[in-house]
Amino acid sequence: MSYRERHEIPDLGIGVGLRRPHVAQVLREKQDLVDWLEIVSENYLADGGIQRSHLEAVREKYRLIPHGVSLSIGGADPLDRRYLARLGSLVHGIGAPWFSDHLCWTGIGGVDVHDLLPMPYTAETLAHVAERVKVVQGELRAPFALENASTYLEFRESTIPEHEFLAELAERADCGILLDVNNVFVSAYNHGFDAKAYIDAIPADRVVQIHLAGHEDKGTYLLDTHSDHVRAEVWDLYRRAVRRCGSVSTLVEWDQSIPAWEVLVAEAEKARVVRAEAVAAATNTEAAWSAGL
Amino acid sequence: MVSGSLGALQTFFAHAAMRDSTVGSDAEAIAEAERLIVPSLRGMSPADRLDVYREQYWLRHVPSLEEDYPTLSWALGGPAPFRELAIRYLTAVPPRTWDLQRLGEGLPSYVANNAPWQGDLLVSDAARIDWAFMEAFDAADAPPFDVGVLSVAPEDAWPLATIMFHPAVRALTLGHPVHDLRQAVKDGSARDRPAAATTHVVVWRDSACRLQAVAIEQQAFALLSALASGVPLGQACDAIAFTSGDTESAADLGPKVSSWFQRWTASGWVSSVRFAG
Repeated sequence: MSYRERHEIPDLGIGVGLRRPHVAQVLREKQDLVDWLEIVSENYLADGGIQRSHLEAVREKYRLIPHGVSLSIGGADPLDRRYLARLGSLVHGIGAPWFSDHLCWTGIGGVDVHDLLPMPYTAETLAHVAERVKVVQGELRAPFALENASTYLEFRESTIPEHEFLAELAERADCGILLDVNNVFVSAYNHGFDAKAYIDAIPADRVVQIHLAGHEDKGTYLLDTHSDHVRAEVWDLYRRAVRRCGSVSTLVEWDQSIPAWEVLVAEAEKARVVRAEAVAAATNTEAAWSAGL
Repeated sequence: MVSGSLGALQTFFAHAAMRDSTVGSDAEAIAEAERLIVPSLRGMSPADRLDVYREQYWLRHVPSLEEDYPTLSWALGGPAPFRELAIRYLTAVPPRTWDLQRLGEGLPSYVANNAPWQGDLLVSDAARIDWAFMEAFDAADAPPFDVGVLSVAPEDAWPLATIMFHPAVRALTLGHPVHDLRQAVKDGSARDRPAAATTHVVVWRDSACRLQAVAIEQQAFALLSALASGVPLGQACDAIAFTSGDTESAADLGPKVSSWFQRWTASGWVSSVRFAG
């Protein structure tokens, strides 16, 4: 039985990241224009207040999935139990079928850099992160997915390619994967690895969600800015990922130069079309193979 | 031991990412970066690659602080002087929480105690009003006050009553009317630095989750502050009657207190009233 089946991970369809400028419009709309919304967990961990009240209102209309940026699963500091307790309250409070964060670290020595910082990929760090994922899952008692982050440097001591590290980590810790195909593209460009081979090596049955976003070309590197439309090359990688993974919940992220809600919805609609085409193509290929046999 | 070696690597990385000058400007940092990091295929040195994270650190934190402190930014003279303050503040007080909303928690104290901002009371007041709004934004919720409890309370229970205020209520004594300045900054109509004037301000989140601020008279502020610190109503009234001198007895204050209390409950400042026994 696959990871998704064991944990009854639903296909939520096509969603977008909920950002503050869109909240009023989302609440005003009579008809739901996307299937679900992803929320940044940290925005909703306060005891109360304006964001929490927005959350309660939006929850009446949409399925919500919490996506964190501060777990620091790869950090050398101990896991922050207070953060985990608040995250657990959020995850269970909104009835999320899974929650996610990034394969990265975010701070050290009590200081929080508020960024998704890269890790060396070694046997030691693999064991370290796998243990921490088990602790997180044990505390929160909900399916957890780790996302491949965009990176701008690699460490000399790394001995394991990122896709192997992520696949082995998911296997050892028995967690899900949030496959960000834009991040695969960005990191592949920055480090010179084959993005298609990366997608092909990710264990498809563990992919619970896919991210799409835009990035910026800074000349000597690509920067994962979430500030623009999804690039053509990333759509191609998405098709490849869907052909492998099937109908997996997909989300369009847009965090900087946030456009009108209609623009974001249109990007989500494009993802819906691309996903349907890729699933159909995969089904046709499978049927052709079966007929040939 | 993974945590030891990983910790050392992450400590170096974090320090590099939080530098206020490029990694390439420090020979020691360049050497350590060379030892740890692979150069890029497109000509970026290890120090250049680390600088991508350093640039992002400041691009993330300075605008975040500026968004939280619009009045302070205006009082300082705009984005450039605010950026200078933000870099010095974040260097002295690095973020120690995952909650970006708390990033500027120490800024009012920092500007009040560090040159060249120390001594500029408008700057200090601006920082304090902006932070009060930040606190009111995500303070805990409280159920609406049930005014029905007041009608069943016996008359003689009132002097010992204690008043609980909504967790989002913040009361400040300021040297300038910066609550008005903040609104003007938001509207784009702020022009001149306001004249100094002692101002008692309450900031709160109303029942529709809108942030509000209003100036209140000195006596009302004194009563509210005493009640908020847990002083029973009768004792708090006696104290402000005493400080107002011979002209006003505690009995004379009655109608005023009643009208203030009605306003406070209508505004959602009061969350509950507890009667002794």
